[in-house]
Amino acid sequence: MLNSILGWVDQRFPLTHIVKHELTDYPTPRNLSYWWNFGFLAGVVLVLQLVTGIFLAMYYKPDVNMAFDSVQHIMRDINYGWLLRYIHSTGASAFFVVIYIHMARTLYYASYHKPRELMWWTGQVIMLMIMATAFMGYLLPWGQMSYWGAQVITNLFGVTPFFGSDIVMWLRGDFSVGDATLTRFFALHYLFPFLIFGMVGIHLVALHTVKSSNPSGISLADKDNIPFHPYFTLKDLFGLGVYLIVFCSFVFFLPGMFIEPANNIPANPLVTPSHIEPEWYFLPFYAILRSIPDMLGGVVAMGLSVVIFAILPFADRSTIPGGARYRPVYRLVFLVFIADVFLLGYIGSQPPSGVLVPIGQAATLLYFATFFLLPPTSKLEERWMRSRGLPPALLTLFEQRSPRDKWSNKGGAA
Amino acid sequence: MKRLIIFAFCWLACSAWGEAEVQLNKVEVATDLPTLARGAETVMTVCNGCHSLKYIHFRELAKLGVEKDKVDGWRGSNPMGTAIASQMPADAAAASFGKAPPDLSLMAKAREGEANYIYSYLLGYYTAPDGTTGNHYYPPTKMPDVLAVAGVTDPAQLAELNKKAREVTSFLVWAADPHAQERKSLGLYVLGYLLVFTTMMYFLKGRIWATLEKV
Repeated sequence: MLNSILGWVDQRFPLTHIVKHELTDYPTPRNLSYWWNFGFLAGVVLVLQLVTGIFLAMYYKPDVNMAFDSVQHIMRDINYGWLLRYIHSTGASAFFVVIYIHMARTLYYASYHKPRELMWWTGQVIMLMIMATAFMGYLLPWGQMSYWGAQVITNLFGVTPFFGSDIVMWLRGDFSVGDATLTRFFALHYLFPFLIFGMVGIHLVALHTVKSSNPSGISLADKDNIPFHPYFTLKDLFGLGVYLIVFCSFVFFLPGMFIEPANNIPANPLVTPSHIEPEWYFLPFYAILRSIPDMLGGVVAMGLSVVIFAILPFADRSTIPGGARYRPVYRLVFLVFIADVFLLGYIGSQPPSGVLVPIGQAATLLYFATFFLLPPTSKLEERWMRSRGLPPALLTLFEQRSPRDKWSNKGGAA
Repeated sequence: MKRLIIFAFCWLACSAWGEAEVQLNKVEVATDLPTLARGAETVMTVCNGCHSLKYIHFRELAKLGVEKDKVDGWRGSNPMGTAIASQMPADAAAASFGKAPPDLSLMAKAREGEANYIYSYLLGYYTAPDGTTGNHYYPPTKMPDVLAVAGVTDPAQLAELNKKAREVTSFLVWAADPHAQERKSLGLYVLGYLLVFTTMMYFLKGRIWATLEKV
């Protein structure tokens, strides 16, 4: 019965073919580490945010006089409303944890190299869309931090030459953040996840064209690619279990950690909180914004700091595969960069005073220097490595590589 | 690499938490119903004169175990499902204190320090040399010393005040998040289930992967 229905469908739509080629038999490098679980986890978080968000929207009221109360209504009176809301509010932070790790893995293994440039860039677009969605979602509870955060960030667009104040008013729908802003942010916050979903589809089509990268950085020979199912379905399920244990620990036992105390006070346009601070996932970029004394310069630097990752496929000129795995200088640069991002995050969370200001400026300089100095350093590193002889592990890999691969022992300044 | 990241994280966390402006007194928040009911009573007889609890209804006080007569006395002719309003109209309160007293439903989550802040604040009143009353934890406060803390030196009386402040704090913590107990007990089941699931997946994954030939 089932087979005949499937047969009927397959004559009209390649269902079995798609499942076989894109899921069960999809060839996956057998040497993927657990760092490769995070793409799948990001997908899970997206679905969880979408589902909880849709249910929250059934009770949430995007109106300045009702928004704050409606969130409390959800938290107190709706059956398991507190669970939906805490999954959603914790999920926002979880989303950034997962995609930042996903990005860090790409950076570490330099997976953005040919032929995966479009993977990297579509991922960047997804990240920008998630940032926009998170920012707009943060306004919806209509607490003090929601209001003042939106006020400060929309205000940044005022530095645009000539049209600054027009753009700010266009974004807010009013002279200052108010009912029009709340309603449009809600509408867009509901729309964006579906756009993200579509973009994830593009990201996956690109993935299935170029296939997963792997720690060696070289496309493995066919014998070293194994079917996705059951090997990676199970590995992903195990990873999902670990992820959910961590996630649920926060949802059930520390859900308040991601909600600022000030956001439990209803928005009040007449009272500015003593310290306005974005959510932790924006702090490094916020620190960059504040470290430039000129406001226009700061906004440009902040925007640049988010999109600059896109230049990496060109900026990293090394032809040695595997990124930090085989390249000591690149590994050092990666670690210093990660430490620098943490430092910027800390500085972004503190009032800008005293010694933190020059430290923040130095950290900002280091952040950009990492990208702008990568072309010469990656080239010099390669020359140095080839003059000393490539590591034996890498040479063995070159012999085993798949013929379609660009990596070889011939490139560079040998 | 992992060690470096962990180190960086710990260092940042420590430096972020290390510097509270005023050292708050720690309170052990109670979750047992009798304490919550006593706290509710103090809040309704003392605080409710000026403060509302607009997200809490009279019915919920009865559910905490406050005697029915008392709840009926407070609600007057209002039905049990009425949200708890302040006994003093907001504009009248604003006129006498210079500022409308804030709603207390979320107070335990709306200040840095949360429960510790409320506890410290309630007990933080003192008599200044010029005879006026001040508060160590929130100097610009307009609220009078409702528990009559300032100037008390008798240890028995102090212990009684500490107990009362702890009851009020515990009640307000409950009011800010009435589902907290349900959440935590459900959380234990969820984590238990996930531990079993994850362990099973770990062994299953190991067995499946063992069928791959070694390279």
